[in-house]
Amino acid sequence: MSEVLGDFIRALRAADIRVSTSESIDAGNVIDLVGFDDRAILRDALSQVLAKSEDEKQAFTETFDTYFSFEQFKKRPASVEAANENDGSEGQESEESGGESEGGEGDDPSQSGSSSSPGGGSGGERQGERAPAPDLVSLLERGDQAALQMALAEGARQAQLNRIRLFTQRGMFTRRIMEIMGLDGLNEEIERRETAGNRESAERLAQAREELRGQVRDYVEKQLEIFTANSGRQLREEVLAQMRLSNVDRSDMRIMRDLVRKMAKRLIALHSRRKKVARRGTLDVRRTIRANIEFDGLLFHTIWKKTKVDRPKVMAICDVSGSVAQISRFLLMFLYSLQEVLPNVRSFAFSGELGETTELFEREKLEQALVEVLRDFGGGSTDYGRAFEDFEALAMNDIDHRTTVLILGDARSNYGDPRSDILKLVHARARRVIWLNPEGRSMWNSGDSEMRRLSPYCDKAVTCASLKDLERVVSELLRSAV
Amino acid sequence: MTTGKQGAIDDIEAIRKGFETRGYICNAHIATSIFLAEKLQKPLLVEGPPGVGKTELAKATAEMVGKPLIRLQCYEGLDEAKALYEWKYGKQLLYTQVLKEKLGDLMSGAHGLKESMTRLHDFDDTFFSEEFLEPRPLLKVLWQPGGAVLLIDEIDKSDDEFEAFLLELLSDYQISVPELGTIKARTTPIVFLTSNNTREIGDALKRRCLHLYIPFPDTDIEQRIIAARVPEMEARLRTQLVAFVQGLRQLDLKKLPAVSETIDWARTMVLLHARELDADLVRNTLNVLLKFQDDIGNVDGEINALVSKAAQAG
Repeated sequence: MSEVLGDFIRALRAADIRVSTSESIDAGNVIDLVGFDDRAILRDALSQVLAKSEDEKQAFTETFDTYFSFEQFKKRPASVEAANENDGSEGQESEESGGESEGGEGDDPSQSGSSSSPGGGSGGERQGERAPAPDLVSLLERGDQAALQMALAEGARQAQLNRIRLFTQRGMFTRRIMEIMGLDGLNEEIERRETAGNRESAERLAQAREELRGQVRDYVEKQLEIFTANSGRQLREEVLAQMRLSNVDRSDMRIMRDLVRKMAKRLIALHSRRKKVARRGTLDVRRTIRANIEFDGLLFHTIWKKTKVDRPKVMAICDVSGSVAQISRFLLMFLYSLQEVLPNVRSFAFSGELGETTELFEREKLEQALVEVLRDFGGGSTDYGRAFEDFEALAMNDIDHRTTVLILGDARSNYGDPRSDILKLVHARARRVIWLNPEGRSMWNSGDSEMRRLSPYCDKAVTCASLKDLERVVSELLRSAV
Repeated sequence: MTTGKQGAIDDIEAIRKGFETRGYICNAHIATSIFLAEKLQKPLLVEGPPGVGKTELAKATAEMVGKPLIRLQCYEGLDEAKALYEWKYGKQLLYTQVLKEKLGDLMSGAHGLKESMTRLHDFDDTFFSEEFLEPRPLLKVLWQPGGAVLLIDEIDKSDDEFEAFLLELLSDYQISVPELGTIKARTTPIVFLTSNNTREIGDALKRRCLHLYIPFPDTDIEQRIIAARVPEMEARLRTQLVAFVQGLRQLDLKKLPAVSETIDWARTMVLLHARELDADLVRNTLNVLLKFQDDIGNVDGEINALVSKAAQAG
């Protein structure tokens, strides 16, 4: 039992469901309570201990259905069917109950030792040397599907199929399972019959062998799918998060978008609550007196003054000119996701002229909004002076002591005046000005880069080249916003 | 059959039946979760859209097991003084005053400071004792001799700190009062937590709980719910009504009508002596079902189609 459950939990983890050790123990207790008899109840019960959010429930149901299914044995192969119709009905019945639950494997006397062996791996190998393989020939001749299925599950266990990670391992595992199930004996039997002149029965057996091979291969493929459901994507995401944004391939855009959305969601979950900070040492006299009237004016309760920490007000200015377009695309994505949740995000885009994109983001879907922003504002030659002038006209009056101004750009203004005086004004009014520069620090101030003149008016100027950098900056933004 | 206090919870089907006789209609999934919560002695975290009967589930369970329901409504700023215990400051004040008066008698005949102190130490100190403790819901549950059903409603509305503070209670059914030590539950209570998902519940809390998600009910269950809650309604109208609401849930609305709204609407229909669903009637009573003006406006165009579809169902 515990081995089945262990494998199932590993499959769940592969499907992005977080299962802790204590939850695994709970799951064991649940199975003891409800048993394997009723598939629906087992699924309901397990889902309550193992999957703890709506998304996870969905993934759980899918994994449960694939993991606990044996439909490759539901249909009886035609060849064995013809060979023995007499006990067909009986086999059908037991096969059905077997298909409901994998736990039935403990019933087979040849495997009764397996459930007591602790620790999956080593126990399995030991078992492999000791346990006699069930007589495959008679199983195939009888067409006992339930027993075959058990033999297959046992073979898979001994071959440690749950360690399968790569699709190139399919053939190897198929062969190994067949061998454990007694392929050698089967081959010998076929040969023996052929030499004995019993051609017909030899052929029938050979055909059954091929069918079995197909079933084993299907089984292995399904297990591969279960155990590696997400590992490929996870690896890809990890790599992409650290890759320089300008190097991200167009084909990875879709994964990137999901990744950005996921990060934004995570940040929001972390920071979406309004916090209160008690200003220690400042007594709220009025409320304290009122609270202590019942104690005859003796000050039992002291009530301290508190400040509410509001969600940050963010204004983001994005350079979408050719040189940084690739990166601003991601910042725009990020802003879009943030704007869905935070009430106070305003976004602006510019290359020459600057315009507000807040409303567009609210109205359009992400893809469409990105296309429109890049069409309307992208492509021109960069002019920071002009952009700041426009920004002053559009938004200066709305900047207050709670506003964080976020600027993404390489500060390359084509030798035009960057109007650092406006940025100085913004800096004076805003709570914080953060500059994200996709270029490395060593490149700042080279050529037409104006970082030297602009960075004095930023509370922070950092390099932001990958998604990880972006996440760090935005997280900080949300955390320290007062 | 379901009058036995503990017997009712012994198997899943019995639980479902027990709920049904008390007017709470549910599927096997919900019954399973009650069964597990009782058997594993774990709290049950119930999530789902508002109005699907999360709170009602706790009430029905309390009624079924015949234990008192103690409810703690969460809100921002809820702290342990309101959830757990409070010292009875007034009485403590009086106590010290009484003590001061009696001090003379106590100390009479004592020679020197040392002897006085020894006597003082020997004296039973009850300043911080259970007598001066004012129990709030959580402590009440622990003190309840026969056990109780605890409902911690809308846990997502409380602060993170409060959530952390609940962890000890939820895993070991005990709480620590700094002045007294640990107070253990006399009988393990059945604990329900509900959440509307306005924020993500912490992993630590989720790990300690069973998790039940209640979605909107399907047509069959909803019909039975209405039949149980509004028995005076005719079967035909009930079928139409439920079909209409189910159709409404397919639309893109700000707030979808939940079961509680369906029940209210059914009661409205009964009050109006309606015999059949028609477009005008729906239009006039739609505000019972939908709570946003935008939604009412959006649905208006669809009413005829929905009503005719519902009429076919009836």
